[in-house]
Amino acid sequence: MYGWHLKLLRVNLTTKKITTEEIDPKIAHDYLGGRGLAIHYLYKEVDPMVDPLAPENKLIFATGPLTATPAPTGNRYMVVTKSPLTGALAHSNSGGEFPTWMKRTGFDLFIFEGKSPEPVYLFVNEDQIELRNAAHLWGKEVPETTDILKGETSLEARVACIGPAGENLALMASIMNDKHRAAARSGVGAVMGSKNLKAVVAMGNKNPKLHNSAKMVSLSVQTSKNVGVDVKKGSNMRIYGTSYVPQVTNTLGILPTRNFQQGTFEHVSNIDGDALKNQYLIRHTPCYRCPLSCGRLTEVPDGKYKGKGEGPEYETISSLGTGCGVSDLAALVKANYLCNEYGMDTIGAGMTIAAAMELYEKGYINDDIVGQSLKFGDHDAVIAMLKKMAYNEGFGKDLAQGSYRLCEKYGHPEIAVTTRKQEFPGYDPRGSQGMGLLYATSNKGASHMEGDVAYEEVFGVPVKENPLTTEGKPELVKHFEDSFALMDSSGVCVFVGIRYMFNKDRMILPQILSEMLQLSTGADYTPEEALKAAERVYNLERMFILKAGSTVDTLPPRMLNEPLPDGPAKGKVVELDKMLPEFYALRGWDENGWPTKEKLKELGLPN
Amino acid sequence: MIVQVKMLANYREVLPPGTKHGTVELDVPEGTTVYDVISRFSIPLNDESVIVLNGLMTDMNAPLQAGDTVTAFSAIAGG
Repeated sequence: MYGWHLKLLRVNLTTKKITTEEIDPKIAHDYLGGRGLAIHYLYKEVDPMVDPLAPENKLIFATGPLTATPAPTGNRYMVVTKSPLTGALAHSNSGGEFPTWMKRTGFDLFIFEGKSPEPVYLFVNEDQIELRNAAHLWGKEVPETTDILKGETSLEARVACIGPAGENLALMASIMNDKHRAAARSGVGAVMGSKNLKAVVAMGNKNPKLHNSAKMVSLSVQTSKNVGVDVKKGSNMRIYGTSYVPQVTNTLGILPTRNFQQGTFEHVSNIDGDALKNQYLIRHTPCYRCPLSCGRLTEVPDGKYKGKGEGPEYETISSLGTGCGVSDLAALVKANYLCNEYGMDTIGAGMTIAAAMELYEKGYINDDIVGQSLKFGDHDAVIAMLKKMAYNEGFGKDLAQGSYRLCEKYGHPEIAVTTRKQEFPGYDPRGSQGMGLLYATSNKGASHMEGDVAYEEVFGVPVKENPLTTEGKPELVKHFEDSFALMDSSGVCVFVGIRYMFNKDRMILPQILSEMLQLSTGADYTPEEALKAAERVYNLERMFILKAGSTVDTLPPRMLNEPLPDGPAKGKVVELDKMLPEFYALRGWDENGWPTKEKLKELGLPN
Repeated sequence: MIVQVKMLANYREVLPPGTKHGTVELDVPEGTTVYDVISRFSIPLNDESVIVLNGLMTDMNAPLQAGDTVTAFSAIAGG
C-alpha cells in the first residue's frame, strides 16, 4: 500500500502489552488518515460518556497520508482524545519534525490506552518498541525532558512530551514536540499525564512508499512555487510570521482586549510584529519541508525576562498580551517561553488569566484568594499565575481548571468567554460574524483551527468577505470546516494547505490536495470525494460530542448581549440565531443539531 | 480636508522613510475617493491587498470625509 503504512501501534499502559495491527484499506480510504482515522478509532472504541482522565479514555497520535511525503508542509500530526476541558472532543494539530519522524517508524497511528502505574515513556525505532521507566523525567520541564531523552536514546530521535502542567492535570496542558511546537488545545496534555505517559520518542527510516513518486515530487515543487504571496521574499509571513496580525485585527476592531471587554488595544504597537522583529527576533524557524517558515526563534538577551525560545505567535499575543492588557513585550515573550516549558496552551492559559483579572477588577475575587493583586496589564502577575497554574499551587488550582470553571466557582460564569468551556482564540466574533458561528458549532469548542473563516472575513484570502454581515456565512463556515477536516486528515498545515485549494476563480476546492492524495496513496480521490470524506469525518466527530452530552451550540452572553464598545464593530453582537438554523439545514442536521438518519446513511456512518 | 492613509506590516515599505506608525496625513479636496488616495502608493490594487475605510469594507469609489482613515494590508492567511 502507498501513502499510508496501514499499520497502527497499540500500547496498553496498564498491562504494558504492545501490539501492532493492520488498518483496513477501505477505512483508511474513507477516513483519509490523521484526524479522520483517529475519530474512527475513538468512536469505535471509547464510550463518549467516559471520564476523560480515566484509564478508559484513549489518546491517539495520528499522522496522515501526506505526512512524511514531499508535499509542502506534509509535516503534521493530530492528537485526538476525549477532552477533559470541554467534555467533548479534542483534536489538536502540531508540526515541527516529530510528526514526520513518527510516520517514519512505520506506523500511521499510535493508540494509548489504560494507565501506567508509574511514569513511562514510549521509544519507537521501527521494530524496536519499548515502554521505558520515566521516573527520572517526572517533574521536569519540556526542554530538559527533551534533551535528556535525546541523550539517552539518539540525537536522531524526535520527542513529544508533557511538562509539569500535563503531569498535574491542568486542563490547558499541551503536548509539546521538538521543544517549541504544541498540540496545544483542549487539555490533551492532561490526558497524557493521567496515563503517566511522560513522552513519546520516535525515529526510523520507513518513509511511506508513494504511488507515483516522480509526479508527487514535481507537483510538490510546483506547488511550493505557486502558493502565492505568502512565501515571496518580503511577504508578511516571511518577515513577521503571524505576529503581524495584531495590527490587522486592531484595525478591524476585533483584537481581544482585557478579556473581550474591548476590541482594540491602545498599546498594540508595543507588542506587534515590528516591535518583535526590531527587538528580539533572531531568525525564522520552519517546520520540516515548509516553504512558508512562520516560526520565530527569539531571544530576550538580558534583564528579568531573559530567555530564548520560539514565539510569540499571534494567538499568544492576543491572549497573554492584549487579552490580559499586557503591553510589555519582553514579559510577553517570557510568558510564551514559560508556557512552552511548562507545556501549556497559550490561548487557554492567557484567556484564563484574563478572566481572573476581570473577576479581580470587579471585586469577585480578592488578594486573599489570589495571593496578590491581579489587575489587567500587570505582566509580572501573568508570569506568576502561569507558574501557579502549571504547578497546581494556591490560586493556580482554580486557574488550572480553565476560565469557565474558575468563573463558575466564584459565581460569575458569564465572565468566561468560552464555548464548550474552551477559551476563544484571537478574533472577537462580534466583529467577525462567521467566526461566531464557527465557535458556537465547533466540535472542539471555540477554535479558529476547525474552519478559520477569518481567512476571508479578516485577511481577504482568497477573497474578502464583509465580517459584519451574516448572509452566506453558514455556507462559508461549513465549507471551511470540511476543508480544514480534509487538511487535518491529510497531514498538511492549513496555512499552506489552504493555498493548494484556490482555483482560478478564487474558490476553495481541493484540486491539488486531492491530486496529492492520489499520487501518495494510489486511491482515486476526486476533489468531491475528498471533501465528502472530510464531511464524513466532521459528522462522526459531531456524533461523538453529541453522545458525550455536548449538545448545545451557543456563545457566552457577552457575545450575544453585550455590544462591542469600541472600534469599527462598535455596537455589534453576534447574530447567531440568524445563522444557526441555516447552518443545520446545510449540514443535513435536524433542528436540534443532530445529523439526520439520511445524512448518516449518505456518509456511510452508523446511526 | 485632512485624511489619513495607514499601511500595515510589509506595506509600510512604500511610505517615505521615517514615517511614524505607518500613517501619513494627506490634504485632499472634497470628493476625493478611496481609490484616489490609495492609488498614490505602490501597492497591488487587486485581490492581493485588503483596503478598508475606518476599519470597514469599502467601495473603492466611496468619497472620503475629513478625518477618515484608509488602511491597506497584504491579503495573507494565518493567525
